[in-house]
Amino acid sequence: MTDTEIKISIRNLYKIFGDDPLPALQHVKDGLGKSDLLELHNHVLGLNDINVDVPAGKTTVIMGLSGSGKSTLIRHLNRLIEPTAGEVWVNEENILDYSESQLRELRKHMMSMVFQKFALLPHRTVLQNAGLAPSVAGQKERQYADEARKWLDRVGLQGQGEQYPHQMSGGMQQRVGIARALTSNSDIMLMDEAFSALDPLIRTDMQGLLIELQAELQKTIVFITHDLDEALKLADHLVILKDGSVIQQGEPQHILLNPAAPYIEDFVSDINRARVLRVRSVMTKTLDAAGERAGEIDHDDTLESVIALSEGDTSRSYRVMKDGKPIGVLDMRKLVRALVPVAQSDDPDSARLSG
Amino acid sequence: MATYDFVFDGLGLRNWCGSSGDDGGGMTSMSQLLAQTSGSDVEVSPWETPFPSMDALHEACTAFPQSRELTSGLEAGFLAIKDSLKVVVDPLTQPLSWALNEALWVMQAVPWFIMIPLLMLIAWVVSRQIKLVGLVVICFGFLGFVDYYSYTMQTLAIIFVCAVTCVLLGVPIGIAMSRSDRVQRIMIPILDMLQTLPPFVYLIPLIFLFSVTEPKLYGIAIILYAIVPVVRLTDLGIRLVDPDVIEAADAFGMTKRQKLFNVQIPLALPNIMAGVNQTIMMSLAMVVIASLVSAPGLGVLVLRGIRSLELGVGLLSGLGIVLLAIILDRVTKAALARINVSKSR
Repeated sequence: MTDTEIKISIRNLYKIFGDDPLPALQHVKDGLGKSDLLELHNHVLGLNDINVDVPAGKTTVIMGLSGSGKSTLIRHLNRLIEPTAGEVWVNEENILDYSESQLRELRKHMMSMVFQKFALLPHRTVLQNAGLAPSVAGQKERQYADEARKWLDRVGLQGQGEQYPHQMSGGMQQRVGIARALTSNSDIMLMDEAFSALDPLIRTDMQGLLIELQAELQKTIVFITHDLDEALKLADHLVILKDGSVIQQGEPQHILLNPAAPYIEDFVSDINRARVLRVRSVMTKTLDAAGERAGEIDHDDTLESVIALSEGDTSRSYRVMKDGKPIGVLDMRKLVRALVPVAQSDDPDSARLSG
Repeated sequence: MATYDFVFDGLGLRNWCGSSGDDGGGMTSMSQLLAQTSGSDVEVSPWETPFPSMDALHEACTAFPQSRELTSGLEAGFLAIKDSLKVVVDPLTQPLSWALNEALWVMQAVPWFIMIPLLMLIAWVVSRQIKLVGLVVICFGFLGFVDYYSYTMQTLAIIFVCAVTCVLLGVPIGIAMSRSDRVQRIMIPILDMLQTLPPFVYLIPLIFLFSVTEPKLYGIAIILYAIVPVVRLTDLGIRLVDPDVIEAADAFGMTKRQKLFNVQIPLALPNIMAGVNQTIMMSLAMVVIASLVSAPGLGVLVLRGIRSLELGVGLLSGLGIVLLAIILDRVTKAALARINVSKSR
């Protein structure tokens, strides 16, 4: 991740909920855990020393179970929640030094947000909802209508601008929510469990829509979820939170192959690895890919597709291609080993990353 | 000897009391009279120990005030500040007098064949229900037919002015309450008091303050009584606005003012309208009591019915108030329902 520009940088962020958080902060810095803090001092540890860099133009997924502090964390990025201590740098500026009006400008033009429960304004039409950001900036409906309609069309809501949110299904309402975020033309999109309230099929649709939009627009997206499948599907950069602390962060494939803690191993063990892992994560890197190969595969193929290609024959090996050039070799035996979580630990090669 | 002599003796206040209790001037207590007639001290059994009230303590110490001195003191105090209070309150409330006078004049000056169609039109615009327009015609037709038309118009004029004033004052107060917990803590006991205090009680100081012939006297009485629901429901309505939506408004950089006018008030409108409906109903209920202090309208007829035991007049004017209440209630409820349909989630 060193080669990409960092858009948002969170430094030593702490959040403690309670009447008198500052002394409690000292206890936390001295090493007191979440449950002890609650028991001894009656304060809730929301976030504990968070350091995350969000790369520009990529999707960063923050994953954790309920109570892990993920929704608290995302609300620090636009200061809907004030931290107890720490810094949040956006475009090289610490937004915690911002005044109220600077903060409003940030929220109006730099960051938009998509909410779990949609949070549309029920008394406004879909078009007016989509145009919330320009209307907050003082534009009249006819001024922003074209822009809002463009994004409504883009998320698949052609000709529905005159409806009211309550006339729409949940999935459509969330499309309005995404159109509203896009209409603001901000670089950063914060998505707080944006798809968690939708049923599975619609959720898959929406994930597809988001991936499509992201390929086209390259926004800096911070996406919150409790669903590992969703996280792996969307993430360029994955951050795993537990009890307010970051347990592991990095490239999702890397986390999958090298879980840093038993907690993550548990998480990862339920995943269909063949569908999630990519060739590039398990291949052997070599420029000398000549020799007897059963065929060529792309570095971004899933293992599932390679298994289908090999018809289950573990004796084959494939040449891995990237942009038409060979970059490595994938041995089917190695592929099969990678499908079993425990086998990973004694295979140092698989830990190596590419791309 | 009085029961509570020991209190003052014990505290060493006997000198402050002047002479001792039994030869205190002025009033002679019942027990002293009894003692004089029987020629001996009355034995007071412990069962009959009086509550240490002001009067009982006065018996023991003449310097201690009696309870009627408290009430007359309150009265004297009020009379003392009355004039300076009037200097402030009189000009502030004068517009209310004007508004009431004008409304009463207009409502009576407009002939019935213009007024009734106008009311029908208002009912139609607000509710879009032909049934309600029919109800308006029937009710006003009936009231006009029994020769209560002008009384009805007077009552309607008073309610109109008072309800509008209640909304103009009550909604901002409700908004202030919803934004600040401290304002809410201060206002809630005041609202509780206004709601439970018998209306006659605050008529008394009002009579002292203003002359009985001034319309604002009953205007203030009605407003004080009827403003409570619109304040409460505005506060409640704004506090009940979905916090997720408020968060979204914040996340898109709305100012407090934009949030109030573009999110909170529109979403609280059904509750605010429910408050307006209740306010109108309560000002109608107050109209009869206001007639005690010279408010014109159907209430005068009700009072005439009571005073001279004219059963028929009392019943008919009572029915008139009920009809008026039904119309006002149905029309405002229909408006409320329309808001709910177009803005429900």
